[in-house]
Amino acid sequence: MTDLSPQLLLYIVTAGGLFGIGLYGFIVGPQTLRRILALNIIGAGIFMLMVVLAYRGLADDASLPSTDPVLHALILTGLVVAVSATAFALALLARLNQAKAAQCSQDQLRHKQGPGQ
Amino acid sequence: MMVVLLVLPLLSALFMLLWPRIAPLLALLTASVCSLVALQLLLLVSQQGSQQVLLAGWPSGLAISLEANSLSSLLILLTALLQLLVGLYAFATHRRDKLGAGFWPLSGMLQLGLTALWLSRDLFNLYVCLELLGIVAVALVSLSGDKAIKPALNYLLLSLFGSLCYLLGVAILYGAYGVLDITVLASQWQADLLSSTALLLMTLGLMLKAALWPLHGWLPAAHAAAPAPVSALLSALVVKGPLFILCLLWLQLAGATQVAAVAPWFAGCGLAALLLGGVSALRTPFAKNMVAYSTVAQLGYAMLALGLLLRFNQPLFAAALWLFVLAHALAKATCFLAVGEITATLGGKRISTLKGASQTMPLAMFAFAVAGGSLIGLPPSGGFLAKWALLQGLWLQGGQLFWLLVIVLATLLSAAYVFRAVVLAFNRADPVAPDFAPRILPQWLALLPALAVWAMALYSEPLLQLLKQEGL
Repeated sequence: MTDLSPQLLLYIVTAGGLFGIGLYGFIVGPQTLRRILALNIIGAGIFMLMVVLAYRGLADDASLPSTDPVLHALILTGLVVAVSATAFALALLARLNQAKAAQCSQDQLRHKQGPGQ
Repeated sequence: MMVVLLVLPLLSALFMLLWPRIAPLLALLTASVCSLVALQLLLLVSQQGSQQVLLAGWPSGLAISLEANSLSSLLILLTALLQLLVGLYAFATHRRDKLGAGFWPLSGMLQLGLTALWLSRDLFNLYVCLELLGIVAVALVSLSGDKAIKPALNYLLLSLFGSLCYLLGVAILYGAYGVLDITVLASQWQADLLSSTALLLMTLGLMLKAALWPLHGWLPAAHAAAPAPVSALLSALVVKGPLFILCLLWLQLAGATQVAAVAPWFAGCGLAALLLGGVSALRTPFAKNMVAYSTVAQLGYAMLALGLLLRFNQPLFAAALWLFVLAHALAKATCFLAVGEITATLGGKRISTLKGASQTMPLAMFAFAVAGGSLIGLPPSGGFLAKWALLQGLWLQGGQLFWLLVIVLATLLSAAYVFRAVVLAFNRADPVAPDFAPRILPQWLALLPALAVWAMALYSEPLLQLLKQEGL
């Protein structure tokens, strides 16, 4: 493990904080939308950690311009996966709400028609 | 050869989206070609040892590397064959069960994800495979309409959470070591706090995805809500993917002190899964839920075998672990297909629907009972083989009376829930009348994997040899 400068440490702590907030929201959050958002916050924390880790070992040697490209590639892949997964989760949530609304209106209809019908 | 196994399902899934009309044909064709190629790969690997491919000629470290040893080629063969069989079943019943057109491309993607997972030896590739597998599995569950959306959404959220935990572990490990390849990583491994945290996070994520006790809560609802062919694929194959990665991590990466610390926990989780999963399977009133809980219980055996393997490092436990995976995959495919066929024909979801099924649908009931025999571990079946390897390993260690007793108790529990269904089926006094004439072909298709699991006992010697050497 290479040493990290204090600045990078600050970023890492922030990333950990984001992960913690997301974790809290995911476990506590009663609404599904909130839990999906919480998952995104967790993802943001992890990606931030990866961005910071790409700078490791470069803090004391400022002449090196480049950072670790492998991590950038990983983050891009991870972002694509996260975006598509979020889209899928939101689509499922929309379907769920539609189904619930349809169920409600059916129930109301039956209620209006009265028993025995 | 490995590239063909990956490209073929992907291409066929894309073409199925273009021409939905011939999708079933394409799916069946792909699955049969893949089975043949996988068989060839298995033969090649067993003759020449494990094969490695670096995609697109990039140097090692940059390229996506695929590695096939005999265990992964065996698992690929199993995946392709089960895909073929389930595809045939789905094609035979798709008019009646109103299976959405989405099933075919999704099953192709499922095969792609699983094959890639069995071949990857790189932490990040494994993450991508896991995500692909999770999303496809959720999409497959949601095929059965509005009722399944809620369990599917729950499954998706937990599965995403599991993958994110795994990804965090990967990020920490990459930050510490700067490599992702498992063999290279293992050579630089230091058993310090950082690597323990990463391993623990990854293990948590994988246990959630593999529905290992105590993180199994999502499985029964999701697997029971899915259409029958989908449940068969999910229970037989998808939960084994994360389990495979878990074994890779702990058998190849982890240091001796880490292994010693975690082994009792794995064995304990396996034990709890066996007992509590069995009790839940015994109590649930719904037929598909019973089979799903039985998956939770049977995964306990694999977990127990993994824990004991880590503790004693005895090759028999490795053989037991993978035999359980193979036998359970075949038996569970039969269980879900047979129960799906019976409940569809007799019209009901409860176990009481099975009443008199030995008279009305003898073939499907026979398939269920035969597969149940393997789940219990009756000789001569694949389940018996696995349990025998486990017991033999324990016996050779000596002084493990507690575990022996537990395995006997778990066997009794599984016998109880299988016989609960079988006894009802033989109650011929007042059978549930079928809604329509039972169809023969789907029942035969459901029977095939059950016959295969009993045939495993005939090839036990080469299988045991192979799996003892290649416990990863």
